[in-house]
Amino acid sequence: MEEYHNKNQPNQYLIPLAIVIAGAFVAGALYFSNSGATANAPVAITDTNQPVAAAPEPTGSTDAVRPVTSEDHIKGNPNAPIKIVEYSDFECPFCKRFHDTMNEVMDKYGDSGEVAWVFRQFPLEQLHPVKAQAVAVASECAAEQGGNDAFWKFTDGYFDVTLTNNRTDIETVIPQLVKEAGLDQVTFQTCFESGKYDDHIEADIANAVETGGRGTPWSVMIGPDGKTYPVNGAQPLAAIEQLISIAKNEQ
Amino acid sequence: MYVKTLRVVFAKPLYTTLFLVISFFVLSVAIMLPHVGLIRTLWQYESVSVVEILLLTANLYGSLGTNFTILSASYTVVIALLFGIQVTLLAYYLKSIRNKATNLTSVGASGVGGLISGFFGIGCAACGTFLLSSILVLFGAGGLLAWLPFGGEEFGLIGVGLLVYANYLIIKKINAPLVCVS
Repeated sequence: MEEYHNKNQPNQYLIPLAIVIAGAFVAGALYFSNSGATANAPVAITDTNQPVAAAPEPTGSTDAVRPVTSEDHIKGNPNAPIKIVEYSDFECPFCKRFHDTMNEVMDKYGDSGEVAWVFRQFPLEQLHPVKAQAVAVASECAAEQGGNDAFWKFTDGYFDVTLTNNRTDIETVIPQLVKEAGLDQVTFQTCFESGKYDDHIEADIANAVETGGRGTPWSVMIGPDGKTYPVNGAQPLAAIEQLISIAKNEQ
Repeated sequence: MYVKTLRVVFAKPLYTTLFLVISFFVLSVAIMLPHVGLIRTLWQYESVSVVEILLLTANLYGSLGTNFTILSASYTVVIALLFGIQVTLLAYYLKSIRNKATNLTSVGASGVGGLISGFFGIGCAACGTFLLSSILVLFGAGGLLAWLPFGGEEFGLIGVGLLVYANYLIIKKINAPLVCVS
């Protein structure tokens, strides 16, 4: 009987099987990317190390985005027909990139009042322990003392200088930004240490998870007719502009 | 021997096309993974035209530059190319030994292992490794990412290594003469 040089049991189906397995893996990857926030919600952990998802069961629907109110940090026209609600982490490198992109968006669409940028907190405690949460609190305290302008001055300033991934020396950077924003240091420190914004930040995180956010930056674009669009990650400017164009056409 | 084999295989337009298609597909999956939800949403809105969706999809390819680290973007492209080569070489080899018995366990396992490991290492928008973090948090081990020196990107590099090894094995197979033994 003739057989070939390899004495092992031949398996002619191995390669097709391997490709099928690879395909199944890709399908699995797609599943994980679309399974809503449920599987991924625990990425966002509060300072008590309890999954945020434990409170409201995440639906993963962008329709769950909390309505934009005057309580939000808004850049641009608060009544703009298109609102981009961003859930961000101050120590995330992709948030830093997307912050620049959003500033470009606002340079182009902000003055005309077409687009408003709403900033909400989504510090990822597991990835950027202590610092992401601390800076989120600091930004809220800046807003409390100096209003919307101080918030954006602090936020833009922080994203300008952050080294990201928990490498920023917040002990130096935060006081410097507070000073640059013209805020009173003592008042700021009292607010910062009070813990009064912990619930607010937790509520933002919970809403991010509810809308399907599983990492940062996570954004929901709200069109003129109320339709919502998930914007996952640091999308390029061209894609955001295309999405704005699509949303505008919905009017 | 290896370069010569690659030249022989890729001299044929059919195999070059197969390589390009597979590589583009793998790269597209890697880039589009975070955006599937958006594209699906747009398809659900009847008022959004197919052209608009295609334009947006084309623009989303730019997220390779914004949604990835330099390291992860590099190995994602390399993994896509290596996997394209892997499938092309396998197709060539299977055709050349059609209906002849052989054993490709190690090649298949390395190739698939490389792809899987590579996908685990894909770093994109989730401020960490996208897929790996998704899977780890399922098991309550999301914090593990913070402990890995490259935040999970190690898996991408392992994937590159496995695919290089798998390609080496298949080229060796292609060049190994089929000899009869009793």
